[in-house]
Amino acid sequence: MNPLLTPELGTYVWSLVIFLTVLFVLKKYAWNPLLDFLEEREKDIAESLEMAESAKTNLEKIKDESEKILNKAKKEGKTIVSDSKLRAEESANKILDDAKAKSNEFLDDAKSKIEIEKKRAIKEIKEEVVDLSLELATKVLQRNVKDDDNNKFIKSSLEAVKADEAKS
Amino acid sequence: MLIGEKVGKEWTMDKAPQYAIDHVANSKKNIFEFEFLNSLSEKLSSFFGLSSDSLFYIDLGITKHVFLLFFVSFIVVSTLVTLIQGYISHKKNIPNKFMSIVEMFVIYLRDDVLKNFVGDKEYRSWAPLVYTIFFFVLFGNILGLIPIFDLTGLIGKIGYKADMLGKDNILYLLSKGGHTVTANVNVTFAIATITFFAFIAAGIQKYGFIQHWKNLAPSGLPLPLYFVVVPIEFMGLFIRPLALTLRLAGNMMGGHIALIIFITFIFSATAELGGLAGFGIAPFSISLALGLTMLELLVAVIQAYVFALLTAVFIGMAIHVDH
Repeated sequence: MNPLLTPELGTYVWSLVIFLTVLFVLKKYAWNPLLDFLEEREKDIAESLEMAESAKTNLEKIKDESEKILNKAKKEGKTIVSDSKLRAEESANKILDDAKAKSNEFLDDAKSKIEIEKKRAIKEIKEEVVDLSLELATKVLQRNVKDDDNNKFIKSSLEAVKADEAKS
Repeated sequence: MLIGEKVGKEWTMDKAPQYAIDHVANSKKNIFEFEFLNSLSEKLSSFFGLSSDSLFYIDLGITKHVFLLFFVSFIVVSTLVTLIQGYISHKKNIPNKFMSIVEMFVIYLRDDVLKNFVGDKEYRSWAPLVYTIFFFVLFGNILGLIPIFDLTGLIGKIGYKADMLGKDNILYLLSKGGHTVTANVNVTFAIATITFFAFIAAGIQKYGFIQHWKNLAPSGLPLPLYFVVVPIEFMGLFIRPLALTLRLAGNMMGGHIALIIFITFIFSATAELGGLAGFGIAPFSISLALGLTMLELLVAVIQAYVFALLTAVFIGMAIHVDH
């Protein structure tokens, strides 16, 4: 029998006993604790990675939000400025228009007043002229004036006055 | 490995093969004698009806390989338990150099072998077995490469003169050179037996006793085919552990025999051609042995991995039957 292939049942039994003992001891004091430990560590790593990921997304969200707010604020500021400009322009225009309208009113008023004054002055002048002409006529006619002459004179005077009136 | 041996004028070239075989084979005598082991052996053997001159007599005596088995298991347990307990209880949990290597193997076996073949859920109950097989075989292989007992042999030659103590002395037997337990077919067959029962247990645990044996052959075949498939599958069941046994033992045995044959070139050249030839061939012989030792280191890891991998594969095959 080849010594390399001889069955040695004693060695076989010893191998079984020793291997099973080693298996038992290592299982209890090495493999199970190590596997538990590795699993826990991997869980820890996965958790912290997840946390980092969520923190990152949160940060991005916050960044987005702040950008949005900033943009909104910018936009609002712009609209406020443009609005106020528009309003200022409007009010300026209104004030100007008002002023124009008032000055026009004043002008019209003044014109109409002037017209009235003018008319009154003309009327007064006319009355004065009539009075004067009457006075003049009486003075001239104190001497003897025929009726004819008188009428004639009155008529012509009146016509003159009428012509004057028509002129003015 | 050779220093402890008496290599002298009686050496001839044709002694080399027997010399190498003697080196790899188990010792014929026990290196420690215990009376209770002898009586236990007799009782156990007579229980099975085996007489002391039977080939299958169960001799529980502490032979060289049994002693080495104790040595290997002591080293495996003390190293791994110290490393792992130290690693786990340490607050910072930074693995040291050796622990990094252990952790690398453990994580690799878990993610690429156990989870892959045994399954994500079931792997936890079978992981300790696969890990123990890997590290036990690995330490057995590597300790066989370290010439521990050749050093004792050297010390024996120079120091306590082991030869003078007599051939039955423990120190003399211990000083006869280092050996690889995993090169002994009985040792590898024992581990393969455990693998064998492990994958049967895995199948029964998952499917129950009857369904597990039904799973051996795929269902839905035409009836005549079962007369072919069932015997083939049944034979396969037993061929698996046998293949595991012979693969590991053969690999370790072959490497060590080649290693010794390379070294004996020096003795043979000296004996046949004179001392000068011995000196001439020594560098060639030693560099060959050195290269082969490097290769053996690689083989040591690969064979341990293959044994563990195939154990995981067989367990996985029993659990996931869908061929």
